[in-house]
Amino acid sequence: MKQKAAVPERVRTVVDKALGRTPAGRGLTVFPDDIFLVSYFRSGSTWSRFLFGNLIHKQAVTFTNMNRLVPIIYELPDRELRKLPRILKSHECFDPRYPRVIYIVRDPRDVAVSFYYYNLKVRVIPDGSPMDEFVERWVAAKVVGYADRVGCWEDHVLSWVRLRQGKPGFRLVRYEDLLADPVKELTGLASLLNIEATPERIERAVQLSSAGHMQSLEKVQSQKWVATKGTRMDIPFVREAKAGGWKKKLSAPAVRMIEQAWGRTMKELGYELVTEARPEPELVRS
Amino acid sequence: MARPKENLNRVVGALSQAGRVLTGRQLAGRGVTVYPDDVFLVSYPRSGNTWTRFLLGNLIFQKDPVTFSNIESRIPEIYFNPDRELRALSRPRMLKSHECFQPQYPHVIYIVRDPRDVAISFYHHNVKARNIPDDYPMTSFVPRFIEGEFDRKFGSWRDNVLSWTSVRGDSSNFMLLRYEEMKRDTARALLRVVEFLERCSFGKIDSSPKALQRAIDLSSPERMRALEKQEAGNWVLTKSTRNDKPFVRTARAGGWKSQLAPESVEMIESAWGELMESLGYGSSLRKATTPELSNQEMPS
Repeated sequence: MKQKAAVPERVRTVVDKALGRTPAGRGLTVFPDDIFLVSYFRSGSTWSRFLFGNLIHKQAVTFTNMNRLVPIIYELPDRELRKLPRILKSHECFDPRYPRVIYIVRDPRDVAVSFYYYNLKVRVIPDGSPMDEFVERWVAAKVVGYADRVGCWEDHVLSWVRLRQGKPGFRLVRYEDLLADPVKELTGLASLLNIEATPERIERAVQLSSAGHMQSLEKVQSQKWVATKGTRMDIPFVREAKAGGWKKKLSAPAVRMIEQAWGRTMKELGYELVTEARPEPELVRS
Repeated sequence: MARPKENLNRVVGALSQAGRVLTGRQLAGRGVTVYPDDVFLVSYPRSGNTWTRFLLGNLIFQKDPVTFSNIESRIPEIYFNPDRELRALSRPRMLKSHECFQPQYPHVIYIVRDPRDVAISFYHHNVKARNIPDDYPMTSFVPRFIEGEFDRKFGSWRDNVLSWTSVRGDSSNFMLLRYEEMKRDTARALLRVVEFLERCSFGKIDSSPKALQRAIDLSSPERMRALEKQEAGNWVLTKSTRNDKPFVRTARAGGWKSQLAPESVEMIESAWGELMESLGYGSSLRKATTPELSNQEMPS
């Protein structure tokens, strides 16, 4: 695709740049009171856009209004984002400029499964690709440009946790805890979001963001939402929304690959390992 | 903070950016194309990166000496050079960067310097760049330095250093190089770098005592100052800054002891004491440790 349109693409880039239409991405202008929902891919960040959006706004979040209510930094240009509510979704590795961050982390074994299906859906990998092979590539951050750019799962998590854990303005939230008790987790985040979180308000947000609700919205809206438009319709974007699905989907070698690469960080985050511990591994990264 | 000026800058920026895209001369910066055999020379600003570029440039390219006019075609920095030109360099490349942790950099030499000395050097650098006036009090500068106010995208000194050491610290593709270690025994530090480069992607580098001495002599502060006098008007990093202030300054370690007010020292140490200790930059608040560096090798 890139090769086919090298020249027109450059012209388009020029026009976009001149008109300020390039998506903000890493070049985003950051304001001191911004709040960022940051996570690695497939770690519940779309769900959290629903949750936090429904908590903050009167209007219920859907896939079609989400980009205005809880914008992602990769779709709209900086100029547009300046006018929108500044709770922004980002997949960036540590960025020192982000003043307030809710970082969502998820068990990488579940991320692996979810990311595998997502890449099937967006046709990065073809049907029938072995999951083990995908996991091997994924652990080495050699899947696809946009994802590899932010580092492997461990790079991503560590870069935020080591730099900001315990600092004001940073909260680490485990996807699994959010799933188990969303009311409790949201209540705990109210002060960072600077909102008054009444139980009714939180309950409403949780219900309007349930997996069931999101799945039925996706059925109606997936052709209108940029992230799913043109992707395979036979694979849903909102999948199981469960924790621990890897136990059935991942092969033992794939689990071992993940645990051997990132075991130390997984344990630190409370993700119990199932592969027998090796002698303290010396970290070798490719 | 005038809005019109801000808007004007934005428009000018967008137009020059568009012009660069049109001519294929976008500055590389964060969007730099990375090859698997690249080695990045990363540091917070004012930590000896240019000196290191001179040293390594003079060691690796022995045909003719490094100057400010040719350094950008040998060990270029990523912010003022177009990606296209960087892609055209012979491989493996060595590139200078001030970024916080970048997962895609395959091999990294991270230069770290005592933040108390960085503060002083960065102060003068900001005077030179016209970000602060001549008579700006150092005691007002230091808290702003701690907050990382002067170049937000690089983070504070702490963010920059810790982002690398905490994620890549154990990696065999990462090397921590202390400025003070280079000052104390340049040849030994260079040997360590050569060993790292050869292990990463570089072929055999001539690191005979003679070659080392030549590189050290050609990168002395005196020579660099003399070159700066002739070339500052043309070098991308200095050409639009005040030419009554030098880029190559004292090139010393420990200047903070006489130049920083005790309150400023205390401010830096209470903000970053733990990280400083772990890097061998002893606190002057706790008298038990000496500020002198131990001979112990840093983990790399």
